Amino acid sequence: MTNIVGIDLGTTFSALSILNAIGKPEIIPNADGERLTPSAIFFDEENSDIVRVGIEAINSRHLNVERSVRWIKRHMGDANYKRKIDSKEWTPVELSALILKKLKQDCSIEHGDIRDAVISVPAHFDEVRRKATMEAGKQAGLNVIGIVNEPVAAALYYATTRKVSGKVLVYDLGGGTFDVTIMEVNGHDMKIVCSQGDHALGGIDFDQKILEILEQKYKEKFKADLISSDEDRAKFEDEAEDIKKTLSRRNVAKKMLYGPAGNMKVEITREMFEKAISSLMERTDILVEVALGEAGIEPAGIDKVLLVGGSTRIPLVQQRLEKMFGKPPETAVNVDECVALGAALHAGLTMLREKPDAVSAGISSSLMDINLTDVCNHSYGTICAPVDKETGRRVIQNRIILNKNTPLPCETSQTFYTLKKGQAEVEVTITQGEGTDAEFVNKIATYKFELPPDRPAECPINVTYSYDVNQRMHCKFEDVESGRVLEVDLSLDQDGNMTETNKKEKKRQFASVAKAKVE
Amino acid sequence: MSKFLIPVSIMLAASVGLLFPGIIGRLRNKALEYWSKLLELVDGNIFKDLTNQQRKFGRIKESYQPVNIRALNCRIQWTKLEEENSIYDALSIEICGSIHAPNDNCDTTLQISIMDVTDGAANAKVVQSRLPQWSSQNGPDPSAFSFNARLGKLPNRVTTLSDWTSITQIRFDWLMFPRKGKRQLQFTTSIMSAEDNQQLARAQCEFTCENPFFGYTDLLENGERTNILAVALAFAVSAADNELYDCEIELIKNWARDNVLESSASDTDERKLDKALEKTIAFFRAGNNIDTYKICDEIVTIAPVAQRYDILELCLYVAQSKGSVTTEEITLLKNMAEWLGVDSEKFRIMMEKVLPVDMHQVKNVEIILGITSDMSKERVRKHLNKEYSKWNSRVTNADPDIQNQADQMLKLIAEARSQYTIQALTS
Repeated sequence: MTNIVGIDLGTTFSALSILNAIGKPEIIPNADGERLTPSAIFFDEENSDIVRVGIEAINSRHLNVERSVRWIKRHMGDANYKRKIDSKEWTPVELSALILKKLKQDCSIEHGDIRDAVISVPAHFDEVRRKATMEAGKQAGLNVIGIVNEPVAAALYYATTRKVSGKVLVYDLGGGTFDVTIMEVNGHDMKIVCSQGDHALGGIDFDQKILEILEQKYKEKFKADLISSDEDRAKFEDEAEDIKKTLSRRNVAKKMLYGPAGNMKVEITREMFEKAISSLMERTDILVEVALGEAGIEPAGIDKVLLVGGSTRIPLVQQRLEKMFGKPPETAVNVDECVALGAALHAGLTMLREKPDAVSAGISSSLMDINLTDVCNHSYGTICAPVDKETGRRVIQNRIILNKNTPLPCETSQTFYTLKKGQAEVEVTITQGEGTDAEFVNKIATYKFELPPDRPAECPINVTYSYDVNQRMHCKFEDVESGRVLEVDLSLDQDGNMTETNKKEKKRQFASVAKAKVE
Repeated sequence: MSKFLIPVSIMLAASVGLLFPGIIGRLRNKALEYWSKLLELVDGNIFKDLTNQQRKFGRIKESYQPVNIRALNCRIQWTKLEEENSIYDALSIEICGSIHAPNDNCDTTLQISIMDVTDGAANAKVVQSRLPQWSSQNGPDPSAFSFNARLGKLPNRVTTLSDWTSITQIRFDWLMFPRKGKRQLQFTTSIMSAEDNQQLARAQCEFTCENPFFGYTDLLENGERTNILAVALAFAVSAADNELYDCEIELIKNWARDNVLESSASDTDERKLDKALEKTIAFFRAGNNIDTYKICDEIVTIAPVAQRYDILELCLYVAQSKGSVTTEEITLLKNMAEWLGVDSEKFRIMMEKVLPVDMHQVKNVEIILGITSDMSKERVRKHLNKEYSKWNSRVTNADPDIQNQADQMLKLIAEARSQYTIQALTS
C-alpha cells in the first residue's frame, strides 16, 4: 500500500503529514527533528548544486542574502519572477520544488518512498498558481493527486478530531496569505459555502510594520538609516519577527539595536504594534464581512470560528474576532500544523475515490464516512460581444458561466450567437475571474472554433462548462444547427498547448531540481 | 462656407444660430411650421377633427383628392398593428379604383415607395427604411424605403374596387424621415405583374404626419454639431488646471481632424480647421472659460447616448495624456458626466480604466470609490466591501499594471473604510 501524505507548502513554514495505519494524520518531523520546516532556501557558496532548505537556510542568509530565498510562495505563478544564483535563473516553481523535495526526502528516511501527495494552497489561489504548485510537486518527484484549499484542509482536521457542527468560519492567517472560508458542518459532513482571501497579507507583513517602527526610532535618534545592506535587512527582519512573537506573549518587547550609526535600546509596546498593523487588520475584517455577505449570513449566524495559521496567535486577531462574532474563536489545536494534517486526510479521501485498491483497510474504514462537498474557487466564463442596452453598441464583455462557490461537481450552460452573416469561425476564450469587464479577468485558454460557412448571423452556440471534484474542468462549445463541437479539458495536471520551447524549458527545470542536492 | 470656421467667442457662448449656415435654413422652416400651426388654430373645424385622432405621432392633415374609379387611387389612414403581443402605430395603404391586367388570373405584386415632399416636389427627399428588408435593393439610394409584397391573382382582366380597400400596413417606426416635425409625404403605390414586372396600375397620394424623432438629416447635422461641442469640452478639461499641455492639445487636434473633417476634406479644409483650433487654444490660454453646463445641456438634446459616452471618453483621455490628473480636472469630468446624463457608476468604471488611482494628484476618495453624500454609514461600508471584493479579485491578474492598480485600490478602500468606521463610532 502506498504512503498517503499531505503537505502544507507555506510562505514561511512548511509541514508534511502522513496517514498512519488507522487513517489518522501525523506530522513527520524533518531531518533536524523539527515538525515545521522553514520555507527558506540557501545555495551553498562553494557549490550551488548543494541547496540547504530549512533552519540552516535561515541561519545562513545573514552571511549572504543574495544566495538565499524566502517567501517564494508570494511569487508562485509569476512568470516574470526569476532568482539568479550564479549563472542559473530559478523560477518560483523550481524553488518551491526544492522545499518539497526536502520534505519528501526527510519523510522517506523513516517511511520509505513518498509518492502520492496532496498539497495545500490558499483558497484564493487562481488556476495559474494552483497549476504552478502542482508542477512544483511533480518536479520534486511527487505524484500530486490533488490540491486542497488550506482552510478546507484545516476544517477537515478539526471536524474529524473534535465536535464541530453548524456554520463554521475558518480564519486562516498564515505567514504570507490570508483566507476566510465559511462551511456548514454536520458531524463528518462538510459543505464549503464560500471563500475569500488576500494573496499578500500575513505574518511577514506584520514583521514589516515592526521593522518600520525600528527604522523610524533609529532615525529619530541617530539621524541615520538603520539598514544599510541586504544582510542588515535580513538580520532586522528576523529581529522584527522575534519582537512580534514576544508581543503575543507580553505587552512590551525590548531589544538592543546594533546599527551602523550606533546602538540603542528600543521598546515596542503591544499598543504600538496593534496601531501599526491596524490597516492590515482592517483588510482582514473587510474580507470576513465580504465572505459573510457572499454566504448571506450575519456574524451572529456563525456557530464556530476556527483559527488556522501562526499569525492567529496575535492577541489582537482573537480580540477582533470575538468582538465581531460575540464568541471567542476555537484555539484548541496547533494552528501551525492543522493544514498539513487536514491535507493528509484530503489525500486519503482522494485516494479512496481514485485508487481505492491502493488504500489500506485501516485508512479506508477511518475515512469512509467523511463527506466533503467542495465548491468552485473562482468564476469561469467566456468573452462575448452583447449589445449595450444604453448605447446600442456592441461591447466586449466577460460573461460568467460557472459561478464561484457553486458546489462540485457542477455543470451549467449558456447560449450565445454568432455576430455576422457568413461567420466562419468563433474565437472562444475561457476566462477565470469576477465581473463583466473583459480587461480584468484572466484569460486561461483561447481556441478557434470553426463553423459551417455561408450562414446567417445569430446562429446559436451552446457553451457548457463543467467542473468535477478532482478540479478538472470540461468546456464544450456546440454549434446547435450543425452539431459541430469543440471540447476542451482543463485540469491542473495538464500542460495544454505547450510550445516546443516550453517543453524544453520544463525538461530543463525538472533536470535542475533533480540535480540539486537538498540538505 | 466651411462649417468649422467658428468664431471662438460665439462658439463658446453656445449660440446655436450663428454657428452653422444650415441652421439658418432650419429656423426658416420652423417659421413655416409655426405659420401652418396658426392656420390650423384658426380653422377650428379641421383642428377639432384632428384633435380627435391626435396621439403621440400627431396626425395633422391628410390631403383629400376626388376618386377616379377608372384608374387606381390610393389613400393613407392611421391604424394599429399588433405584432408579437405589442401594438404599433401604422399606416394603412388603401386603394380603390380599377386595375387593368393583360389577362385573367394575373399574378401581381405590390410596390410602395415614399418621398418626403415637405420642402416641395423639386426638393423631394427619400424616406428611408430602418429595416434592411424594406430598403431599396436596386434604386439610386439603397437606404430608401421600398415596400414589395405579393398581392395575389387578379381574377379578371379589369378589376374594380368600388370601396377603399386596405392592402397593407406599414409600421410607422419602420420609416426614417429627413427631419423631425411635420412632414408631407408622397406615397406611390404600384401594382406590378409578377410575371414580367410590368406596371399595371399606379397611384399617388399625399399624407401629412408629425415625426417626433430626429430625421437622418437632423442626425447628420446633430452629429457634426456634437463633434464641435466635444472639442470645446475637451479644451475645457485641458484648461481646468489652468494649463494647456502640448500632449493634451495634440490629442484634441487629432480627434478633431478625425471627427470634424469629412473623409474627403481638402488641404484647405484642414488648414481652416487648424486655424479654428489655434484660436480656441489662444482663447483658453488667455484664461477664458466656457459654460460647460450649457454645452452639455445642448449635447443631451441633440446627441444619442453613445456619442455622449464618446465625448466623455475623449475628455478622460485628455486628462490622462499628461500622466497625472488634478482635482479640478476630476471635478469637471464628474460634473460633465452628470450633465451628459451618463450613469455615475459607469463613469466611475470608465475613470478606473483611463485614470487609474496612481495618476490622481490628490486622491478624492469619494469620487474614486463612488461614495455619495446621501449614503448612510452602513451603506458606505457595504459599498466599500463590494469594491474591495471587486479589486481583490483583480490583484492576481496577469497584467502587472492591473495588479499594481488593484493593490493601490485595496489600500485606498481599507483606509476609507476605517475612516468611515471611525466617523460612525464618533458620530
